[in-house]
Amino acid sequence: MASSDKKPYFAALRIHLANSWMFIAFFIGFFLFWEYAVVWFDIPRYILTPPSLIVEKGAADLDRLLYYTYVTGLETVLGYVVAVVLALPIGLAIAFSTILRRTIYPFLVCIEMVPKIAFAPLFISWLGFGLLPKVIIVFLVCFFPIVLNAILAFNSLSEELTRFARSTGASVWTTFLKIRLPAALPQCFVGFKYAAINATVGAAIAEFIGSDEGLGFYIQIVTGNMRPDLAFAGIFFLTLLGLALFGIVTLAERLLIPWHISVRRTAH
Amino acid sequence: MSTLIDLAGVTKVFGSGTGAVHAFGPVDMTIEDGEFISLLGPSGCGKSTLMLMIAGLLGITKGEITLAGRNVTGPQTDIGIMFQDNTLVPWRTVRGNIDLQLEMRGIDPASREEDVEELLRSVHLEDFQQRFPHELSGGMQQRAAFCQAMVHRPKTMLLDEPLGKLDAMTRENIRKDLQSLWMQKRPTVIFVTHSIEEAIQLSTRVAVITPRPGRIERIIDIDLPFPRDFDVKSSPEFTAYVRETQEIFRNYGVI
Repeated sequence: MASSDKKPYFAALRIHLANSWMFIAFFIGFFLFWEYAVVWFDIPRYILTPPSLIVEKGAADLDRLLYYTYVTGLETVLGYVVAVVLALPIGLAIAFSTILRRTIYPFLVCIEMVPKIAFAPLFISWLGFGLLPKVIIVFLVCFFPIVLNAILAFNSLSEELTRFARSTGASVWTTFLKIRLPAALPQCFVGFKYAAINATVGAAIAEFIGSDEGLGFYIQIVTGNMRPDLAFAGIFFLTLLGLALFGIVTLAERLLIPWHISVRRTAH
Repeated sequence: MSTLIDLAGVTKVFGSGTGAVHAFGPVDMTIEDGEFISLLGPSGCGKSTLMLMIAGLLGITKGEITLAGRNVTGPQTDIGIMFQDNTLVPWRTVRGNIDLQLEMRGIDPASREEDVEELLRSVHLEDFQQRFPHELSGGMQQRAAFCQAMVHRPKTMLLDEPLGKLDAMTRENIRKDLQSLWMQKRPTVIFVTHSIEEAIQLSTRVAVITPRPGRIERIIDIDLPFPRDFDVKSSPEFTAYVRETQEIFRNYGVI
């Protein structure tokens, strides 16, 4: 104890390790409990399967799972990228135009109240079972958090920096590039990250409603066939997909705004 | 010395109709070239409002401000401003933040390299130029902000309580540097503060401002030798100026 007082760095490391070990132990414990509870409580296999069986059966069906991960991944990434590409300029336009702020902005806030997923059956019926309706639904889920955060981001420059910029006599464009844009990035990333978490939800639900491939389709079919083991394998890959997208966005955040406090805090 | 800034009947009213708030004025004052004048008053007396009007960053309701012979109708660019909350951006280093002032004005920072180096040395930041603002203490941040406000060689500097958030010892230290820089370069400085001692130590003249609505109650010439070091500050003359100023605020019921 006395030595850790002298070396606060090691004390911090030890606390960090202690916390991590607790988490890892809990994680392992959770799966062990799951594994044996299925046997102890004699739960039928068509209701719930132990994790070991999920791994085994999932591995046996790996080809299909990987292909469907690719299908769902493509829908997710396309919808997400289109959302980012459209939401940023629209958010920017609304932030800087009084007319747009009084017309389109309240409209967007109203639409935001509507659960976008509720549109999914309509889009499927309009556009069929292919890739496009899924991309549109992912887009709808991602677009609003990105655009609303972008508007907030571009509207919240401090009064001091606004005055500083005016006092230099710099053009609107120079002010935008050198001050407004970098200052807005942290808030924009709040939207990017929120959208990244929800993107796979949109893709999966769209596939539930009408699809002949993809992880959502897979989960629905195998559940119908009383195969919870394969359903969990599908959920596992869907989770991986979501984590990968979130990881890429977080990496981009670290590269683009290493100076921001949210990044500095998690960097250690 | 010639007149640099002329205020004639300057008045500021916020809002209109029954909700209008008469914040400041009418005020008449002239500021000479190379002067160090303090706007001294309690919080909310309108001294920052006056400073922003001189900078052309806030509209004047009534009256006229002339800066270097020209009517102030929009943002003035031949000034350096330091705000209470500094304008250092977190994504640039100290050096980058100083360069930002130049880049915004379309000046190539490479052409001012020696200027920047000298400025950094004069505020003792030469070893910290590659640090980010969050890595610096509050006092160092204000020193960096000072360099940012001065790097484009403005003839007039507007400093809005630049030392307001610092501890007493750091304030004392930066005041000293501020004074020697002013003595060296002799820009015209308008210094907003609520510290009586600070105003008297730094200024050639102190404009005492009383609130609701903000008005210049008296302008006191501070006839003390520069640099005003510890000896000057403990002199009876200095104390007399402090007393005179305190008297005004006491009569007004501010203190």
